Amino acid sequence: MRRVTDRGTDSTPYVFPKWANVLRPALALSVIGLPLYLTLLVTFGFSARTLNVGYAPEQPVPYSHALHVGELGMDCRYCHSTVERSRHAAIPPTETCMNCHTRIRAQSEKLAAVRVSAETGEPIPWVRVHDLPEYVYFNHESHVSAGVSCVSCHGRVDTMEVVRTVQPLSMSWCLDCHRNPDPHLRPLDRVTDLAWEPEDRVETGRQIREATGVSPSTDCWACHR
Amino acid sequence: MSERGSGERYWRSLEDLGDDPRFAEIAAREFPSLLPELADPRTRRTFLKLMGASMALAGLTACRWPEERILPFAKRPEGRVPGTPERYATAMELGGVARGLLVTSYDGRPIKIEGNPDHPGSAGATDSIAQAAILELFDPDRSRHPSQRVGGAHERRERADYESHIKGRIAALAGRGRGLAVLGEASSSPSLARMQGRLLRRFPALRWYEYEPVTRDNERLGADIALGAPLRTHLDLSSADVIVAFDADLLTGHPDALRHAREFAARRRADDGAMNRLHAVESAFSVTGAMADHRHAASSAAVAAFAGQLAAFVLGPLGELPRGLAQALARTEGRATAPFVEELADELRAHRGRGVVVAGPGQPPEVHALVHLMNDRLGNVNRTVHYTEDPGPTRPSHEAAIGELAEAIRSGEVETLVILGGNPVFDAPADVDFAGALGRLADSVHLSLYRNETSNACAWHVPRAHFLETWGDARAWDGTISIVQPLIEPLWGGVSPIELLSLLGDGEPAPGHDLVRETARGYLGRGGFESAWASALHDGLVEGSRLPRLPARPDPSRVARRVADWWPPVTPSETAGLEIVFLPDPKLHDGRFANNGWLQELPEPMTKMAWDNALLVGKATADEHGLRSHETAVVSVGEREIEAPVFVMPGQADGSLAIWLGQGRSVCGRVGDGVGADAYRLRTSGAMHRAVGASVRPTGKRHELATTQDHFAIDLLGLEETQRRRPELLREATLGEYREHPDFVRHRAHTPELHELWKPVEYDGYKWGMSIDLTACTGCSACVVACQAENNIPVVGKVEVIKGREMHWIRVDRYFKGEPDAPEVAFQPVTCHHCENAPCEQVCPVAATLHSEEGLNQMVYNRCIGTRYCSNNCPYKVRRFNFWNNQKATTDLEALRHNPEVTVRSRGVMEKCSYCVQRIEAARTLAKREDRRIADGDVTPACAQACPTQAIVFGDLNDRGSRVARAHASQRSYAMLEELKVKPRTRYLAKLRNPATDGGGDEHGGHA
Repeated sequence: MRRVTDRGTDSTPYVFPKWANVLRPALALSVIGLPLYLTLLVTFGFSARTLNVGYAPEQPVPYSHALHVGELGMDCRYCHSTVERSRHAAIPPTETCMNCHTRIRAQSEKLAAVRVSAETGEPIPWVRVHDLPEYVYFNHESHVSAGVSCVSCHGRVDTMEVVRTVQPLSMSWCLDCHRNPDPHLRPLDRVTDLAWEPEDRVETGRQIREATGVSPSTDCWACHR
Repeated sequence: MSERGSGERYWRSLEDLGDDPRFAEIAAREFPSLLPELADPRTRRTFLKLMGASMALAGLTACRWPEERILPFAKRPEGRVPGTPERYATAMELGGVARGLLVTSYDGRPIKIEGNPDHPGSAGATDSIAQAAILELFDPDRSRHPSQRVGGAHERRERADYESHIKGRIAALAGRGRGLAVLGEASSSPSLARMQGRLLRRFPALRWYEYEPVTRDNERLGADIALGAPLRTHLDLSSADVIVAFDADLLTGHPDALRHAREFAARRRADDGAMNRLHAVESAFSVTGAMADHRHAASSAAVAAFAGQLAAFVLGPLGELPRGLAQALARTEGRATAPFVEELADELRAHRGRGVVVAGPGQPPEVHALVHLMNDRLGNVNRTVHYTEDPGPTRPSHEAAIGELAEAIRSGEVETLVILGGNPVFDAPADVDFAGALGRLADSVHLSLYRNETSNACAWHVPRAHFLETWGDARAWDGTISIVQPLIEPLWGGVSPIELLSLLGDGEPAPGHDLVRETARGYLGRGGFESAWASALHDGLVEGSRLPRLPARPDPSRVARRVADWWPPVTPSETAGLEIVFLPDPKLHDGRFANNGWLQELPEPMTKMAWDNALLVGKATADEHGLRSHETAVVSVGEREIEAPVFVMPGQADGSLAIWLGQGRSVCGRVGDGVGADAYRLRTSGAMHRAVGASVRPTGKRHELATTQDHFAIDLLGLEETQRRRPELLREATLGEYREHPDFVRHRAHTPELHELWKPVEYDGYKWGMSIDLTACTGCSACVVACQAENNIPVVGKVEVIKGREMHWIRVDRYFKGEPDAPEVAFQPVTCHHCENAPCEQVCPVAATLHSEEGLNQMVYNRCIGTRYCSNNCPYKVRRFNFWNNQKATTDLEALRHNPEVTVRSRGVMEKCSYCVQRIEAARTLAKREDRRIADGDVTPACAQACPTQAIVFGDLNDRGSRVARAHASQRSYAMLEELKVKPRTRYLAKLRNPATDGGGDEHGGHA
């Protein structure tokens, strides 16, 4: 045990100075103000507006999902080809665009940036729309292979001219599904069918969960490391 | 309770043993020196001001997410999946020997180095130096452009400039190339040899020199005496029952150390009730000495004398000795013959063909010759000892070569010098005055990874490509050829030695890829070259390229002639003064890694010293000369002297000083500049390994060394109690005791019956656990650097280390036991135990640390508010706190090495071992893809992966057949601090020793 000495009293007196009296009303003010501040913080801090739902930045190429997916009926995985075997769904390389656009609308003005990229090898600088914080380790493969559709997080991209966020992508929103995945599970062959709607989503999901044994983790380290 | 001076007492340092108040202070305060800092009003005010400023900035920047761009490939390479790590086999050459590596690349960035499991020298393991090469690749201090000396300083030039300069120089040379010389590092690269041959054909008068400051030439010279050729010796420790090492650090200080360690440890686990026995006779305490069952501390000269005495005993009765040798060795009479030497001889004779005698590179050639003779007479050759050719058998010794080169420059025979790597101005023998010689040259070109002491003294400097940036090839110790393949384009346009040689020889630089392929056509065969090349690249080695074993018999009469002249070796008592032994730095090798923060901050296994080198002295010698740890002293040999801090090292031989070479760099970089003392300034030709007649005087100046041995002392109820508990924390027994009492671990500590207060949690999915075998752990600390690389652990610097704020998630505790002049050593790696009843979790006010369903003790950085209650409550002291934003100084370039799977932590948060959860998650994804459970061996944490002896095993405890479940079920398995009922998931396997005089004992290990 350390011996307690009272050296402080004569050499360095620990006494509050006079101006410290101001602190008392300040303290009282903060007792009233703090709950109000916290309420406002939570109300506005977690609102959809703050979380930027509906964020739809302008892209370097005016690519329309509504046209390619909705009208022409392309599968998501034609371009986002790594979604089933990587963390990233991956923005396609320019050559994927050029598979078709060397012949189709080869001279279109809208595709100028694509043609430049194909010629020079410089990447097209797409703007990230769905942006999770750096400390979140989301994995597309685990979700898609468990039967969670693209539409659950990205919405009806097949109807969007410009891609925008439709979900808050907040932690509580993630946990809603991790705690109760049933409404979001569907057969694997329907994962990229954004318009698919079963009669009873919960019941369908429950059956799939029981058949495949999907049990999403709610451990911290499932997503944060 | 503690028994003063008893052989059973464990101690961490001499301060601990002597109950120095300094140690008590360190142990009592978990975070030493924290209090004065926060109490100092000035730093506190600055801190608050900084906090205020950063809060204001946070408010401004947090308004909107920053816009992020995604840049996909224009044309994605085939098979490339973004966000998926890929691994490539390559090799790192150090001192002319290749280490086989597998490098993980993440989206084109190499981020982690591991051993190549198929490589004979590696078998999947690495040492700390290879682990730290990633940091070197992305070091911002690396040389970025060529330069030319104009007046006294170097000016920036472009690649075209030096190329045209060299072309012009070569054209002027024309003819036989008189006056041109090349100084290379030791290299076993077939391509380099081919380029050398080509160059010599073009310029027959060219002189080629090879210099390596950390040289093993004495082995070559010894083999030349005994066997008639400088053959290379290979040891097969897997079939050795008795190993006798004379100043030989087989387990960490040898090019084939990884294989030695693996084979050695495999014979220590006593699964079949048998163990090998290791005897070490050495001056400075090495890792091999620490692992030895019997260690004898003797000055390096006395070690040679002991080797001679052993030879007399071994060779005498076994066969006819040539008269000269018999006479020479007979002169040992009158000299005190240690009884242990005779016992050693008996033991070796009793294990004919199953023993190994080996001498280290610091021992003179004569000792090596005697060792060859002994191994031959003991029937060990072709059983435990094999010989092959040495690549480059005709070269002169490194020591001779550098002297000849300096002489040739002085006499004007060499006018133009091309230096391929190396740093001779810093590391050449001090009497050679290489810097002075360089000044006389008409022209000099230095190829180097860093702008160093030699670059500044040369007319031209050319940046060298890192081995991860360039094509090359090299041979392992056993001769297996590995292809060095690049993981990334040269960051700063560097070139490799072979590329520079092609410029020199052909006048045009050829790409390294073409040069290496051209060489490979020679050894891969022309038929099916492409497929052979592809598989050599994939496997990281050329199948069947091992050097053939050669039959060799030593010639006793040749040995006799040499030994008769040399015997008896000088012992310190015969000369005025002390002996000083020059050792390669265990972390920095010859000093080339001095700018590597991971290696600088790694506590050296034996001294537990980071960020410095020191004069290592034994306790008796220190007392005699008035030397004290953490104070400097001046050592002088002849007229040369240096000032270096002193570290009083238990087990260091009396009358013998030791110092590591490689520190004390002056032109190095922001990390290595001015760290430590330059011991090269004491080392001269003829005394490359040891000098005699040294004197030492204390200066009384304080020099705090960053020794971590007393940090994180497991402090339960004060020091007394700690002392009492150490045999419980680290349990060990002799083989005899183990045979008699296989369950001894349970009796080393008496744990009261533990009851459950509530229903214990059932873990029915995966149940992760770890087992650490203290018998196998050599303390080499490769795990520490591997963990640092995998988990983005920052370097904090010497000042912070002294305060006990190093961030390593795994530490290797080093305990001494017994008398300070001849202690036994035990190592114990400690990392987060992932307790099922984790005390840290119960005290966190914000639930920042909590348990996962699989039993992992999770740390959530975002929630952590930095109270440090968890660390306070952790019985194992494994939590690390970011007192500062340790990543603040990390440049964008350095950030490229970060593992993207692990969050980079900021100031004010706690962190600790995660069992490499990112690797668990990666294995889970893979297993799910294949619709199966994670199998045993799918998850290997970075520490276990790097471990040369596989002392660390990790896996699922619910899988009864897994290695870790079997280890936990072993008789030797115990939990540290079991009585706290924290139910740790990490358990230890008790240490076994195999002393010759093994009386057994009771299962309680002598405690009450």
